[in-house]
Amino acid sequence: MSMPASWRFRTSRGSSAIAASVELLFILNLDTGSSVDTLKVRDAKDVEEVVRAAIANEQPLEIIGHGSKRSIGHAMATNAVLDLSALNAVTSYEPNELIVTLQAGAPLADVLSLIDAKNQQFAFEPVNTAPLLGTPPSGTIGGMIAAGLAGPRRIRAGGARDHLLGAHAVSGFGDSFKTGGKVVKNVTGYDLCKLLAGSWGTLSVMTEVTLKVMPKPEAERTLLLRGLDDAAANKAMTAALGSPFDVSGAAHLPYQAFRAKPEGLGDLAGEGEALTVLRLEGITASAAHRAGSLRELLAPFGTATLIEDAASAALWVTIRDVLPFAASGALGAWPVWRIVCPPASGAALGTRLTRETGGDVLYDWGGGLIWAALPPKGDAHEPAVRACANAVGGHATLIRAAEDVRREVDVFHPQAPGIAALSERVRASFDPKTVLNRGRLTRGAVA
Amino acid sequence: MAIMMPASDQAVLARRAEIVAALRAIVSGEGVIDTPAEMRAYESDGLTAYRQPPMVVVLPDTTEQVSLILKYCAGQNIKVVPRGSGTSLSGGALPLEDGVLLGLGKFKRIREIDFDNRVVVTEPGVTNLAISQAVAHAGFYYAPDPSSQIACSIGGNVAENSGGVHCLKYGMTTNNVLGCEIVLMSGEILRIGGKGCENAGYDLMGVITGSEGLLGVITEVTVRILQKPETARALMVGFAEVEAAGECVARIIGAGIIPGGMEMMDKPAIHAAEAFVHAGYPLDVEALLIIELDGPQIEVDELITRVETIANACGSTTCQISTSEAERNLFWAGRKAAFPAVGRISPDYLCMDGTIPRGALPKALARIRELGEKYQLGCANVFHAGDGNLHPLILYDANKPGEIERAEAFGADILRACVEFGGVLTGEHGVGIEKRDLMPEMFTEIDLNQQQRLKCAFDSQGLLNPGKVFPTLHRCAELGRMHVHAGKLAFPDIPRF
Repeated sequence: MSMPASWRFRTSRGSSAIAASVELLFILNLDTGSSVDTLKVRDAKDVEEVVRAAIANEQPLEIIGHGSKRSIGHAMATNAVLDLSALNAVTSYEPNELIVTLQAGAPLADVLSLIDAKNQQFAFEPVNTAPLLGTPPSGTIGGMIAAGLAGPRRIRAGGARDHLLGAHAVSGFGDSFKTGGKVVKNVTGYDLCKLLAGSWGTLSVMTEVTLKVMPKPEAERTLLLRGLDDAAANKAMTAALGSPFDVSGAAHLPYQAFRAKPEGLGDLAGEGEALTVLRLEGITASAAHRAGSLRELLAPFGTATLIEDAASAALWVTIRDVLPFAASGALGAWPVWRIVCPPASGAALGTRLTRETGGDVLYDWGGGLIWAALPPKGDAHEPAVRACANAVGGHATLIRAAEDVRREVDVFHPQAPGIAALSERVRASFDPKTVLNRGRLTRGAVA
Repeated sequence: MAIMMPASDQAVLARRAEIVAALRAIVSGEGVIDTPAEMRAYESDGLTAYRQPPMVVVLPDTTEQVSLILKYCAGQNIKVVPRGSGTSLSGGALPLEDGVLLGLGKFKRIREIDFDNRVVVTEPGVTNLAISQAVAHAGFYYAPDPSSQIACSIGGNVAENSGGVHCLKYGMTTNNVLGCEIVLMSGEILRIGGKGCENAGYDLMGVITGSEGLLGVITEVTVRILQKPETARALMVGFAEVEAAGECVARIIGAGIIPGGMEMMDKPAIHAAEAFVHAGYPLDVEALLIIELDGPQIEVDELITRVETIANACGSTTCQISTSEAERNLFWAGRKAAFPAVGRISPDYLCMDGTIPRGALPKALARIRELGEKYQLGCANVFHAGDGNLHPLILYDANKPGEIERAEAFGADILRACVEFGGVLTGEHGVGIEKRDLMPEMFTEIDLNQQQRLKCAFDSQGLLNPGKVFPTLHRCAELGRMHVHAGKLAFPDIPRF
């Protein structure tokens, strides 16, 4: 790997105690004039050294790849950033084994191109948060797993946690450890991969991961139903997902969601009508056949029209990346919540929330995932969101909000006391000194 | 018993009568079993080479009773071994002499069937198959299908992260479980997850699944159910060389086809199975593949043709395609009866469970042949070829002196080879006691310490199912210290077994 010209070996002591104590060990990229040192590591050994220095100096670290999701979560207490973006190699890619092993800082876009060339994909459709958060198009594999944000195919193929087969990571003890392996079927020891996925960098610093890849479907077909209200759409999606037709996407876009004229919808969003969409994937004959069968099944909800392949794919990117709520769009200044709930309860939750707040919602996962953009307010309508989610056994995360809002509001859903206490013991079992992303998950944890 | 378990706590054993009485105060009547004759039924699980009667058996039927039992045992420093149906093949439910055996067999009720959310909420003692049967009338089923599904409990499936023939396409238990109610060793009752796709916070459900009864006692499970595929058809393909069969598996996957199941048997397994069930297996082949495709008729028919073409290109010597359900079931009958079939040709056998990368199959089978010659023991191989999960069945006779020891050494060498070829020690049967002492082949002390620290977050006294999974026990307080580093035996005073 060659070294970008902008990097240089550090020659003077940085402002943080951590940087000072690991000075000669690795490359630093200093933000000139900033009080924050960015510690750009080259390998897992460097990561160990940085974490050990953080422990020794009792100074927490912020862990980043490209930093594309830094605005999710609470502000962290740190003056040192552990930057994994140079840990970016593809260790191995074995298409016939359906696995790829990558360093955590590997750019997601490059990896997607690599596996796409072999007609493979990450079946959980990782969300590209850049349009929603208004960040440059970037992001790493490590960030993808640590955030664990899965797209529409979550209902059929699982999430990031279901595709992470193994990991090497550095714990908050400063020790490299491994968990899992490079094979799909493995029950050797505790499945720590499940904990790392979706942990927002608070348990360990992943350095290398092995992920399952899956063949891309030959064809895709999407059925469109127009004009359904949320409750009817929820019923239609429930019927589709309860059918044997192997539906791989079930989303509903109420009409209000189109006020931002998102990309990927083309003229689909015309005529002031809501859109309910159902995706079928597979070999061409099968996808077409199932689309026909599903259209018959859904006849009570209206006459479905059909889009294919490229048009269908563009639509599902729009849904996956929540483009109707894009930062550059009409609702770009509104806070956005991501709510997970029992799928059949989606419409009840969504309609109550929009009624109480005047906001917009999108439904994915057959109603089991609701993206809600709510009118700007100091508390981002947190009481209404929590009440709506709790009423059906769901939970909500504030994905987009200004920093002053995130100071006032819990970003992540408060948990029952017993679960919260167990989660804290689990966290401490990896990172007892809380040096990794201190304060990101819990408001007020940073003094 | 060839394996060392934690030393019995004599202070606890001395108080046995008092402990039995205390448990009777929580669970009345037949729910506490303490006579040697009645406890015999619990002295072993599916790994019958190891037997140990427990101190006492308790069979609660409510979550509150489980909580009271665990709280009492935690307070009295008494070890507890949880047990579902007792079908573990790795000794996960092997009792301890000084331990309470906590059976969940009375938790037999399905609590809720929710077709709209496509989930079943069930008690842990319900069998895997009973869940599918309870939703079959609406066309649904529960996908993971371990061979023992008629007997094994869903609670045990969660504890072991059970797989099955169809997990290549539909995932293992962990990919099909959404939530649970769990009782910690302290007696605390927690609800994790629910009917949504994802839990809030850390994925505790994910790490509880496959934790082999060391983290908590599960008293309720929420599983997702799927619609049954419209149809399924199977191909039975013979090869003159194992390598050709391996190549065929790789090319099917490489062509983007994920079969519902893809199984391989080697010659000894084919012969044993054919002699037992007369499925019409070809006897002159070195390897037999059973490949099942499921889905809509139109898709299955097309994929059957594609797979047949690939098999021909790989030099298959025989290829039969099922034309009816009866024929498909016949293809499977031999494979599904492979274990008992091998039981007919050998007085005893050991079933191993390593996973290797698919591509390593030919060299793994060659190594197993070499090892068989070294140890002078026969071995029949059945193999979940699609996901690289190998089940060598080592043939031995327990009545011949030294054979069990040779068989175990043979098995350990096979698992070492799996790790050497880039695989793992166990694909679906669990570590338990069987593979416990091989864990250092795959994990460093640091890796294992991190796992044991997690155990401490759930069970700080180490009382729940001790002696399983980890070759060396550490005290939680020691594990939590910062000075534990590679290459040092940090606690030489702690017994290793």
